Amino acid sequence: MPSLRDLQVDVLKAVLSAEDGRAARRVVARGIPAMRRLGIYANNARVNFHESLQASFPAVLRLVGEEYFHQCAREYQKRYPSTCGDLQYTGTRLPDYLAELHVNDEFRYLGDVARLEWLRQETLISADHRPLDFEKLAAIAPSEYAELRFRLHPSARLFDSEYPCWNIWQANVASDGEPEIIDLATGPDRLLLIRRTLQIEAHRLSHGERSFLIAVREGEGFERAVEDGVNCDSEFSAAAALQRFVLAGAIVDLE
Amino acid sequence: MSGKALSNSDRRSVPAGAGVGLRAPHHLIVMSEAPRVAWFEAHTENYFADGGPHVYAMEKIRANYPLSLHGVGLSLGSTDPLNREHLKKVSRAVKRFEPALVSEHVSWSSVGGKYANDLLPLPYTEEALRHVCGRIAEVQDVLGRQILVENVSSYLEFANSGMTEWEFVAGVAAESGCGILLDVNNIYVASCNHDFDPLHYLNAIEAQTVQEFHLAGHSRISIEGREVLIDTHSTRVCDAVWELYGSAVRRFGKVPTLIEWDTDIPALDVLLEEADKADAVGASVNAVAA
Repeated sequence: MPSLRDLQVDVLKAVLSAEDGRAARRVVARGIPAMRRLGIYANNARVNFHESLQASFPAVLRLVGEEYFHQCAREYQKRYPSTCGDLQYTGTRLPDYLAELHVNDEFRYLGDVARLEWLRQETLISADHRPLDFEKLAAIAPSEYAELRFRLHPSARLFDSEYPCWNIWQANVASDGEPEIIDLATGPDRLLLIRRTLQIEAHRLSHGERSFLIAVREGEGFERAVEDGVNCDSEFSAAAALQRFVLAGAIVDLE
Repeated sequence: MSGKALSNSDRRSVPAGAGVGLRAPHHLIVMSEAPRVAWFEAHTENYFADGGPHVYAMEKIRANYPLSLHGVGLSLGSTDPLNREHLKKVSRAVKRFEPALVSEHVSWSSVGGKYANDLLPLPYTEEALRHVCGRIAEVQDVLGRQILVENVSSYLEFANSGMTEWEFVAGVAAESGCGILLDVNNIYVASCNHDFDPLHYLNAIEAQTVQEFHLAGHSRISIEGREVLIDTHSTRVCDAVWELYGSAVRRFGKVPTLIEWDTDIPALDVLLEEADKADAVGASVNAVAA
């Protein structure tokens, strides 16, 4: 008699990869071949996985069409089966998978669009945070700003791509009609995504602003973050950046 | 419901009438129109987020309706160690939304760290029974409360099963102290797929263990010329399941009954009609009994 674990290993293999192995011998056929019975669960597993990916990557789905999307999803599931009971995470590696698959072809931007969609999802489900307490900042003399560490809103995500992914996403998800043709040469994108209320906001960034925010995100002090901004972009203004990101709700605390 | 905030005592119990599954497409209408329904049940995993629109909606809805949280991803029957990360998220959702009922399934969905994200059947053996009861005990200990476990739809039987599904489910409740969420549609689907009398199933479950019913629609497919019922949750409850529900109410009394509809989700009014029908069946059973 198989142990419970042995049975589960065999059954999961049959469900995830349709291998006609030991699982079939564990199952009572009763008029229907065992692999066809196991196939019902295999179909459920595939559909649940695919539907989760569709929900997470609607722009990618629209760009490549259902048939190719499901073909990719099948191969992706074989390589990266789900590793948790929360279907929201099935797509964690899809952006990298698509980037690798289409590194030099007509869909070479697809991995980046998928990455943008994944970051949007992360932004959407992140924690809320109250805005920066201005009195806390006002209590600190500007001469002491150098060592301050600012904190970003929990939903803040930075995205960059050589392709115009935000416009591609909007054309394929945010509009109802036939998507307009986007020239891939109209990139790059440097974006800050945040969610202060219930909607995601996207802010376009200069090179300097992006470097500044990366440093803040990594816990660097204000002086170091400003240095990074200036080193990247001689026109970077610390005062303008601080004002912009505090008012945008991206900087929400300090220590 | 009037839209008035629930009292603390109302939050701690789900009424014996019919509730409906809360799905994202209905969040806005529930928040804005406060429909007349006794309670809602939501999939626990859909509310694991730290913030955002779904969690916001749940907090608003929870203030006005009793709630049940129904998990699908804990993989209770898996021989892998219990997924503590997942259980922590369940625990957080329970603390955050204070459901009156918390439930999962008598099934498994993972082994070796890989998940099928479907509710796979267990062999009905002493080993599996002990294992599932041990897992339920761990979960109840962490959550600090009793959970309910649901019987799943079944499309296969294992050759090494030494007892029936209903003996197994009854045993799970008896040995672990959990409650039973009796899915009447799943019993009907399994009875058709495996040729047994569904009344045997009802009669084998101890009456006081059943604390919730599920009702849902199913689909029919043909495999090698043989009809198989699939638990799709994509349509209205069929007449045969309504009839079996009547038998269940006669046996177990009027317990909270949930209308499930997870695929091809219709307008909320359709779910509310099904809930009204469940209440009518319950009332007619009680009228006859009286």
